[in-house]
Amino acid sequence: MITSQQGEAEAPVARGAVARGPLRRVPADVLDWIGTAARLALAVVWAWAGLAKVSDPETAAQAVRAYRILPESLVRPFGYGLPFLELAVALLLLIGLGTRIAAFVSGVLLLVYIASIASVWARGIAIDCGCFGGGGAVAASKTEYLQEILRDTGFLILTAWLLWRPAAKLSLDRWLAAE
Amino acid sequence: MSTMSQKNDGKRSARERMQEERAAEQAKARRLRKLAVAGTVLAVLVVAVVVGILVMNSKTTSYSAAQAPAGTTGSNNLQVPVGAANAPSTLTIYEDPRCPACGEFEKSFHTTVNQLLGQGKIQIRYHVVSFIDRHNPGDTGSKNAANALGCAQNVGLFHPYHDVLYANQPDETDDAWADKGKLITLAKQVKGLDTPAFESCVNNNTFGAWVTAVETDFDKSGYNSTPTILLNGTSAYPTYNGVSISPQSLIAAVDAANKGKPLGTLTPASASALASPNS
Repeated sequence: MITSQQGEAEAPVARGAVARGPLRRVPADVLDWIGTAARLALAVVWAWAGLAKVSDPETAAQAVRAYRILPESLVRPFGYGLPFLELAVALLLLIGLGTRIAAFVSGVLLLVYIASIASVWARGIAIDCGCFGGGGAVAASKTEYLQEILRDTGFLILTAWLLWRPAAKLSLDRWLAAE
Repeated sequence: MSTMSQKNDGKRSARERMQEERAAEQAKARRLRKLAVAGTVLAVLVVAVVVGILVMNSKTTSYSAAQAPAGTTGSNNLQVPVGAANAPSTLTIYEDPRCPACGEFEKSFHTTVNQLLGQGKIQIRYHVVSFIDRHNPGDTGSKNAANALGCAQNVGLFHPYHDVLYANQPDETDDAWADKGKLITLAKQVKGLDTPAFESCVNNNTFGAWVTAVETDFDKSGYNSTPTILLNGTSAYPTYNGVSISPQSLIAAVDAANKGKPLGTLTPASASALASPNS
C-alpha cells in the first residue's frame, strides 16, 4: 500500500492530490477535469445567487428577516454582506484560487442555508428561501422547502468533491504551484 | 523510503544530500506559496463582505417624514388616512396594488367600506405596500402604483384612485404597471386627478423614498401577507374574533365596537376625498 502510493506520487501525471479508494485507478487528468467542472458549476450558482440579491437592499434585508432567526440589528449586515460573500466565493472558484478554502466557505454557507430552511419549515413559517433573489413571506401553498433543501444538498456534493480534492485544471492554484 | 535507503548505504553521497536539501527548500517554498494564497483568499472574502455592506448601505434611500405625500399620518407619515379623523373605529389596511387577494377583498368589501366611511363609523389607515415586485426581480408595478397613489394622496384624491386601480388590477404575474402610462390612463377615470403635475409625479417616482419606507415598515411589522386588515388593532380578515368576515359581519363588528360612541364628522375636505360608495 505504502509503496504503491509513493509510486503514484512519483509519477509525473499525478501533480495534484493522490486518488484513494475506488477512484485510485482513474487517471489524475480525469479527476482534475471533474474538479474543474465542479468549480465552474458552483461558481455559476454563487454568482447567480449573489447578483440576484445586490440590486435592492430592502429586499435583501427582508429575505434574511423573513427567517425570523437573526435579531433586527443583524438583519442588515447579513442581508447586505452575504450576497457579496457569495460573489467573492464565485470569483475564487472561477479562477481556482484557494479552491479548498473557497469550497469550505461554500460548504459552510450551504449548511447554514439548509439548516435555516429546515428551521422555518419546522416552525411552520411560509417564506420563499430568497436563495436566488426575492424572498420574504409567501402563501403556505407556495413554499418549496424540500426542493430548496435537495437543491442545496446537490451543491453541497460538488462542494464536498472540491474539499476532498481541490486539484483541478485551469486553476490559479496550479499555475502558482500552490496546490 | 528514506530510512530504508539510509540503512542500505550507511553514508550518503554529497549529491544525494544536495538533492534532499533542494527538495526540502522546494517544499518550504511551496508551503509559503500556499500560505500566501490562503491569506489572499481570506482577505478577498473579508474585503468583499465589508465593501458589500458599504455598497448596499449607500444604495438605501434615506427617508424623512417631510418626503411623504401631503395629508399622510402616523409615525413618519407612512399611513394614508381616509374618512373622519374623529370616527370611533379605525380600520387599518395593508394592501399591495398588485396583490390578487387584495383585489378580492376590494371587490367584496369596497362598497361596504365606503358606506362605513361616509357614515362616519370608521376611519381607514392605508399602508400602501409594494412587496409583490420582489416575487420577480426587476418588477416595478407595485412600486409605481404605490407612488402613483402617493401622488393622488398629495392632491387629496387617494381614495377614488385607489378604487379605480383595484377595479382594473392586472393579473399578479403581469407586471402591467411597470408602464407608468397605464397608471396615468387609469387616473383619467378620477375627476381632476390627471394633471401635468400628477403625470410628472408618477413619471418621476416623486414619492419613491416614501414607498420604500412604507414597505420597510411593513417588513418589520411582523405581518407577512396582504391584505392585512385590523379593526381597532385586532386582525379582522379573513376572520374577526373567530368569525369569518363578510360585508354584513364587518358592519356588525363595527357597530358593536362603536356602541355608545358618537359617530365621526366628516370635514368637507375629507368628505370630498371619499370614493363614491357605488363606484
